Amino acid sequence: MDHLTRLENKSIYIIREAYYRFKDIAMLWSVGKDSTTLLWLCRKAFFGQVPFPIIHIDTGYKFPEMYRFRNERVKEWNLKLLIGRNEEKLKEGMGPGQGSKLDCCNELKTNALKMAIKKYHLKAILLGIRRDEHGIRAKERYFSPRDSQFKWDYENQPAELWDQYQSTVEEEEHFRIHPILHFTELDVWSYVKREGLPIVPLYFSRNGKRFRSIGCLPCCSPIDSNASTIDEIVEEIRTSKTSERSGRAQDKENIYTMQKLRALGYM
Amino acid sequence: MPNLKEILGQGFVLHRMNASIPDISSVSWTSFNTGVNPGEHGIYGFTDLSPHSYSLYFPNSRDVQAPTFWEILGKTSQKSSTLSQQYRKKIGRSYRSIILNVPHTYPAWPMNGILVSGFVSLDLKKATFPESAYPYLHSIHYLIDVEAEKAREDKGSFMRSLFECFEIRKKAISHLFEKESWDLFFACVTESDRLHHFFFEASEDERNPYYEPFIRFYTELDNFIKVLYEEFSRRSHGKGFFAILSDHGFAPVKKEVYLNRFLEEQGFLVLRKDGKFYERIDGRTRAFNMDPGRICLHDQDRYPRGAVRKEDRSNLLEDIKEALRNLKGENGEKVIDKIYEKEEIYNGPYSEMAPALVCLPNDGYDLKGSLEKKEIFGQNIFTGMHTWHDALCLLPEKIILPEKPFIQNLTEYVLQYYTE
Repeated sequence: MDHLTRLENKSIYIIREAYYRFKDIAMLWSVGKDSTTLLWLCRKAFFGQVPFPIIHIDTGYKFPEMYRFRNERVKEWNLKLLIGRNEEKLKEGMGPGQGSKLDCCNELKTNALKMAIKKYHLKAILLGIRRDEHGIRAKERYFSPRDSQFKWDYENQPAELWDQYQSTVEEEEHFRIHPILHFTELDVWSYVKREGLPIVPLYFSRNGKRFRSIGCLPCCSPIDSNASTIDEIVEEIRTSKTSERSGRAQDKENIYTMQKLRALGYM
Repeated sequence: MPNLKEILGQGFVLHRMNASIPDISSVSWTSFNTGVNPGEHGIYGFTDLSPHSYSLYFPNSRDVQAPTFWEILGKTSQKSSTLSQQYRKKIGRSYRSIILNVPHTYPAWPMNGILVSGFVSLDLKKATFPESAYPYLHSIHYLIDVEAEKAREDKGSFMRSLFECFEIRKKAISHLFEKESWDLFFACVTESDRLHHFFFEASEDERNPYYEPFIRFYTELDNFIKVLYEEFSRRSHGKGFFAILSDHGFAPVKKEVYLNRFLEEQGFLVLRKDGKFYERIDGRTRAFNMDPGRICLHDQDRYPRGAVRKEDRSNLLEDIKEALRNLKGENGEKVIDKIYEKEEIYNGPYSEMAPALVCLPNDGYDLKGSLEKKEIFGQNIFTGMHTWHDALCLLPEKIILPEKPFIQNLTEYVLQYYTE
C-alpha cells in the first residue's frame, strides 16, 4: 500500500468510528485545502453521500472566491450546509478594523462556533487540523475532548494508544475529532493531486503571489510564488523552509501585543 | 498629596533614583523585580529581534533570565543571579508573596503565593497564578489595563475608563491585601502612567478640561495610599517594611524623535520597500534603532544581511555617537543627553544580546523606533514621556542608599528585611 493510501485509510477509519459513536456530529469546513480534503474523505467514507451536516463558520470577511467555491461544492456534492454566524456582533460592526483582532477572531470565529454547537446540539465535530501546522497542535489527539468553556486541557487527555480511541463524553462537553491529524502540508497537496480534488483558486499563483493558507480577507497575505499548478505547489513546499502560516495574521498573541504596545507609543 | 506627606513624617524618606536603561516599564520593572541589570536578566525592551533574523519578537516573563525577589523569597526558582546567590542561604524559610499588576510578568508562572500579571497581559486566565485566584478576579470584572486604543477616538471616555480601571485595581488590591495571607505584598498602579502619557499637559493648566480629573486622580491615589498604609500598620504593628516606588519619571513631550529616520538621513540605515518592520533592513545598513533609543549595529556575525565587520565596529560607533551628539531640536538644543556603550552599563551573561549603544534624551525629546517616518521630528497623541533620571522611591529612613541609586539597587533592601 502506498503512503497516501495508508493515510487515507486511517482517516476514513476515524471518520466512520466517529460517526458510529456520535450521531450528533458535524464537520467543520473552512473551505481551505485541509478541510476540503477532510470533506472529500468524509464523502469517500460514506460512498459519496455525507450523512451529517457540514458547518461553515462565516465571519462575513471571507474571500469572494471562498463563498463561490463553497456554494458550488454544496450543490455538486449534495451537502447539508449549516452556516454559523455571530449575527449580533456582526450587526454591532465587529470586524478586523474595530477593536483588537483577537476580539474579532474570538467573536466571529470561536463564539460563532460555540453558538452553532449549542444551536444544533452537537456532541462532536470533525476538524481538518494537522499535526505539523503549529507547535501546539503536536500534542493534539484524534479524539480530543473540550469542556463547556471550550478549554482543551492538553495535560489531562485520555490516553490514546494505537487505534484505541477514547470517545466517551460528559454532559456539556463536546469532542473534537481530527481525522487528518497525521497528514502533513505536503501530504495534503499530494493527495489533492492524486484525487483530482477541486480547490479554491486563491492557492494558485497570480502575478507572482499566491496564498499558502487562507482565512479572512483582511488578515491573510499572499506569499511570493510562481506556483500556478498543483505540481508546482508540491515542488515549492518540498523545498520551502518557511512556515505555512507565515502569511497568516494568525499569531494572535503577537498581533494583540503589538496593538497594546502601539497604543502606548511603542513601535 | 497630604496623606503621603503625613506618612513621610513618620520615619520615611523620599529619594530620587535612576530608572533602568532604557527607561521603559518592561526593563525597569524587571530590573526591580530581579534586582539585577539587563545584562543579567536579559530584558532590553518590549521588542527584540529573534536571533539571526529580522523578525520582531516580544519578550515576556519566560524570557527573564534571573529570579525575581518573590521567587528568591519563596524559594521556588532554579534560576540564579548574583543577587539570589547572595541571599539564597540567608532566607530562612519560604515566604508567601502577592504580586499584582506588575508589568512584564506575563504569563503568570508558579510561585509561592498569588501572581496577577500586568502590562502586556493578553488573557486574564494566563495572567493569573494559581488558577484558584481567577474566579474572584472574574467576579469583579477585573481589568488588566485601560484600553489605550480608546484614547485616539475619545479622550473623555478614555479618562472615564481610566478611573473605572483604577477603581477595579483598588478593589482587587484591597481584597487581596486584607483577605489573603502573605509575607510580602507588591502591587502596581499603572493608571498613573497612562494618565501622564495622554494628559500631562492638563496638569499645569487649570483651564484644560482634564485638569480637574488629573488632580482628582492624584487625590484618590493619595487616599488609597493612606488606606493601604493604615492597614499595613495595623497588621505589622510598626515592625514591617513599607516602600513606594516608581519605575521612571515623566516630562512633557516637546517632540517625538524618530531615530531611524535620522540614521537613514545620515546614511547608516538603508530600508527596502518590502517586508514588515525590521525585515526591511537592507544589506547596506550599518545601524538601526529599536524603541526607544537602542542603537544596534548590523553585525556580520549576527544578522543574515549583516554588513559590519568586527574590526570596523569601534570606528562606526564613534561616527554614530558623533552624529547623535550633533542632533539638534528646537532652538538648536541638543536632543541626546547621554550615549552609553553596552559595556559601560550592562554586565552579565546576557549582555551579548544588548544593543551596541543606548541613548538617553534630554527631557522633552521622546525617542522612538518607528521605521515608517519621513521626518526626524514629529508629534503624536502623547503629551507625556518617560524620564530616566527622576524615578522616585519612598523608603524607611534607616535605609542608607548610595547616592542616586538605580532601581535595581532597591531590591536588596526588600530581601534584607526577610533576613532580619
